[in-house]
Amino acid sequence: MNLTGDPLFDIAAPIEELSESFNSTTVFNIGPWSISQYTFWMFICLALVLVVVLVAAKRVTLVPKSKFASMVEYGYDAVRRNMGEGAIGHGYEKHMPFLASLFFFILLSNVVGLIPGCKTPTGTLGVTWALALCSFVYFNYYGIKAKGGWGYIKSIAPSGLPKPMVPVIWFFEFFSLVIRLLTLAVRLYGNMFAGHMILGIFAIMTQVFIMDAIEYASVMTALPAIVWFLFIAVMYLLECLVAFLQAYVFTILSAVYVGLATSEH
Amino acid sequence: METTFVIAALKVVGYGLGTIGPGIGLGLCGYGLCVGSARQPELAGKLFTNALIFGALAEALALIGFVLTFIF
Repeated sequence: MNLTGDPLFDIAAPIEELSESFNSTTVFNIGPWSISQYTFWMFICLALVLVVVLVAAKRVTLVPKSKFASMVEYGYDAVRRNMGEGAIGHGYEKHMPFLASLFFFILLSNVVGLIPGCKTPTGTLGVTWALALCSFVYFNYYGIKAKGGWGYIKSIAPSGLPKPMVPVIWFFEFFSLVIRLLTLAVRLYGNMFAGHMILGIFAIMTQVFIMDAIEYASVMTALPAIVWFLFIAVMYLLECLVAFLQAYVFTILSAVYVGLATSEH
Repeated sequence: METTFVIAALKVVGYGLGTIGPGIGLGLCGYGLCVGSARQPELAGKLFTNALIFGALAEALALIGFVLTFIF
């Protein structure tokens, strides 16, 4: 690392390196498919979810004994009460497996990314796009199943509108329905990507100021390093919150969309 | 080199401008939720779900802007 003494010039090269480290690179190939680091971590997260849920399901008893099982049960119960009953309402039991799988997978993916050295699978548009596509296909399928093809298409526009307004409102509602696919994917990706980028930039700032302080042996240059380090700690706490929040938002929005698609107006 | 830098800077400025509207929208959405559930706490759960839907709608524009900075 070449130091010029001006931190603003010194951070340019490491930041470029940082943003390149977010690009997907092929880790290994399985047959014709190349597996990027994000997909690799996605498989690890899938395995983790499977292990966590299976172990918890084995240990679950009527009188709670295992702390671990109680924790997972509490998470499932939160999904059931807030998202199932709150957002879908009547007939929510049918959708619980899908919603709970979504919640646990996204939560574990986000949390795994917070461990230094691990990559968050939701930090790439590919994975979040696939998740959003699952959700999109799911709620459209159940909407068509509940109302029939033509009935579902008609129900996109809310009932009780004046006749000439229906096509216009229908068009806007249809656009917002299609755009859900994009917004679900990009919201999760944007939050995770931006959070990790900010953590990385703060880490680079800390490093640059520490290196400058050592190079020029000045205490005054070391002070910003301490401040930047505190910023990392605060941002890390915020990221822990965001990891939970984004899993929650993704799942409850899926639940709301399922509720909107299947409810009778 | 110079042109790419200008384009990159313009992208950031454009995205910054694009977040003003959704920012105001999300703020109003949260304001409505807080005021509504303070006046009628028994409706808080239902209001929260509605606030999430409208928050998602308001946020959509900012997210489209975020994607556009990557595409162009």
